[in-house]
Amino acid sequence: MRVVIAEDVMLTREGITRLLTDAGIDVVAEAGDAASLLRAVRVTQPDAAIVDIRMPPTHTDEGLVAAQQIRAEHPGVSVLILSQYVEPHYAARLLEEHPERAGYLLKERVFDVANLIDALRRLADGETVVDPTIVARLFARKRHTDPLDQLTEREREVLGLVAEGLSNRAIAARLFVTERTVEAHVKQIFLKLGLSTDPDSHRRVLAVLAYLRGAS
Amino acid sequence: MERLEPRLAAAARLTLSRRLAALAGIAAVLAGLAAGAGALAVAAGPGRSTTYPGSSAAGAALLLCAGLGLIAAGLVISLNRRPGRIGDLALLAGFTWFAPVWVAWQEGPPLVPTLAMALGGFTLPLIFHLVLAYPSGRAGSLPARALLAVVYAEALLAAAALALFRDPYLDPGCLANCNVNSFLVRSLPSLAHAVEISDRWFAATAAAVLVAICAMRLARASGPARQRLLPVLVPAIAFAAAVVARAVALQRITVEDPFNTALFTIFVVASGAVTLLAAGLISGVVRYRAERRAVARIAANLDEAPMPGSLQSALAVALRDPGLRVAYWLPGTQRYVDASGRAVPEPSAMPGRAVTRLMRNERTIAAVSHSGAVPRMESQIGPAIRLGLENERLQAELLAQLEELRASRARIVETADSERRGLERNLHDGAQQRLLALSYDIRLARGSAGEEGDTPTETALARAVGETRDILQELRELAHGIYPAVLAEAGIAPALATLADTAALPVEILRAEHRRYPAPVEAAAYFTVAEALDDAARRNADHAEVSVVQDDGHLVVTVEDNGSRPASPLTAATDRVGALGGALSIEPTACRAEIPCASS
Repeated sequence: MRVVIAEDVMLTREGITRLLTDAGIDVVAEAGDAASLLRAVRVTQPDAAIVDIRMPPTHTDEGLVAAQQIRAEHPGVSVLILSQYVEPHYAARLLEEHPERAGYLLKERVFDVANLIDALRRLADGETVVDPTIVARLFARKRHTDPLDQLTEREREVLGLVAEGLSNRAIAARLFVTERTVEAHVKQIFLKLGLSTDPDSHRRVLAVLAYLRGAS
Repeated sequence: MERLEPRLAAAARLTLSRRLAALAGIAAVLAGLAAGAGALAVAAGPGRSTTYPGSSAAGAALLLCAGLGLIAAGLVISLNRRPGRIGDLALLAGFTWFAPVWVAWQEGPPLVPTLAMALGGFTLPLIFHLVLAYPSGRAGSLPARALLAVVYAEALLAAAALALFRDPYLDPGCLANCNVNSFLVRSLPSLAHAVEISDRWFAATAAAVLVAICAMRLARASGPARQRLLPVLVPAIAFAAAVVARAVALQRITVEDPFNTALFTIFVVASGAVTLLAAGLISGVVRYRAERRAVARIAANLDEAPMPGSLQSALAVALRDPGLRVAYWLPGTQRYVDASGRAVPEPSAMPGRAVTRLMRNERTIAAVSHSGAVPRMESQIGPAIRLGLENERLQAELLAQLEELRASRARIVETADSERRGLERNLHDGAQQRLLALSYDIRLARGSAGEEGDTPTETALARAVGETRDILQELRELAHGIYPAVLAEAGIAPALATLADTAALPVEILRAEHRRYPAPVEAAAYFTVAEALDDAARRNADHAEVSVVQDDGHLVVTVEDNGSRPASPLTAATDRVGALGGALSIEPTACRAEIPCASS
């Protein structure tokens, strides 16, 4: 797998590069800002771009803007945003245009190389990746009458994995059940929560995230 | 007694001078009536056919109206003690206006027609002087003063030349008086003729210059000033036109025959113009008195505790000058402010606008920018209004100080916010980043310890990894609490959503538009909601509703809960909102902040 890394802090950039190289992944280019990232993607046409959310010059949302641009211009290139913010707003913003092959992970998670490799594989398979911390926080949100109470323990587990962006097949593998069982669960969950989005589409991640934030 | 005497003497002198003025006024009225009545008698006498009033009853009426009008205007102006010489000029012009008729007095002493001939030439300079000096009493501009000097000098020279060298008997153009010239030294008919013709054309030229000056003054004057000038300058222009027309007409006619239609028409225009001019002068005095009364009324109304700025509008109405501005002087900060305490530039005089500095107890209290047509503004503002102005000045000073205080509070909050933002960034880019790197190093070390089979070290390092993760978590929450990055980058709505995600009680965001507002406004709204939610949780509320809406230039933030105890005062939020000129109101289970803002 060939990846491009964009991260303005050299220490972190080198760390990630080393991790990936050790894991047998080919880091074809490194970039310190959004403009050189876009150039590198155009030139090298990698499988994935790993992008820091905060980059020069303003250190605000350059990473997000660049990620959306890559997703729009290079449909075959996955984008994984690395961030220190547990911020559903940023994740939703990344996913709103092209939810497939886009991911939002907390930086501390990628230093566990298995997490990083897993996320890149899932993106390559066309899935979406949302950091479990964000999903956990949305599940923990205080609600007046919690609609999640009507879900079974297993259904809650499945809903969490849907929110993290896993496909039915990946959920089945994770829970050691058949894909058909997962499909049934997902249908049931969507029915119970009154979600009208197609439970098989990429957009279901956004629908679930929005639902978790909105329900009070 | 010694100290009192000079004052008594001064008072006596003043009384005397007033009496003299009254006597002079009566004398002037009598003399004017005599001059007018005499002129009518002369016109009705043997010389009847040689004068305009003698030629028809209309001519007599016009002559009387114009002359007596000027005399009346002169008296009215003098009695009202308006500045300068305008009253005297009008009186004199009134007398000389009758002179051409007295020339035709054949039965009287020969000196009278002779003097009348000399005096008749001064009507024009006097009327010019009157017009150019109106309303201040002094001809202000250089061209006006130059014109006056030239016309007076020419009138004097022409009168002298004609008196000394014109023999009426040999003058083919003579009409009213063809016999007498008491001052004749030597008869020089051709010189006298040349002087007469050049005098006429000089008068025409001077009249044209007068028209130009009048037109210029009207064009330059501001609205209210023009209103005051029009009743005098327009008749003056008509009079000047008659002077020009007379010169043109007499070029073709040798004898000034009052029965000639063209000449009589010119006489009608000139007399009518002078009558209107006199009426304009009187109306100016009437207007001035009305303004004084209006200004006096403002003083009478002062006990009604005026709103800031009300004196300015009251003066503007009284002086019929909507552009009038009052700027109050703040000696402490050495600047001018308006009645509401806002800083304004120091008023400066401009074409058509004058500035009067008003003093009280020898200190400047205000500068009034007003229409240039209000002469001696200073004297029109009495002590009561000065007191009112001083009162309003103190109020303006207070308001200015309040505004400074508010601005200072806003700056303090803004500085604190930017420091918070900086702190959040420093944590994010510094401590958090380095801790990440550290946790990465520990993971690597744990990996190699595992490979080497050093289990105790591997366990210890695994614990260290968990520890750094917890610290990272805490740091992240700390940074978010100091200043949420999402608030600065995405605005109030996403920041409130995250606040609701992590709140200690269920929070429903009823309304929050995805719009951006100035950073201090967003921060004030955010921290108000955060403080109110903390308070609600402390009061055992199990539900809160938040809405943030823009309404009429304000961002209105409301937080309602169902807490068991009344809400606390929310000191920090009150300070923040107050610093932006807003207000925070607390009800038992709700708080509402209104923050002034213009959306950006």
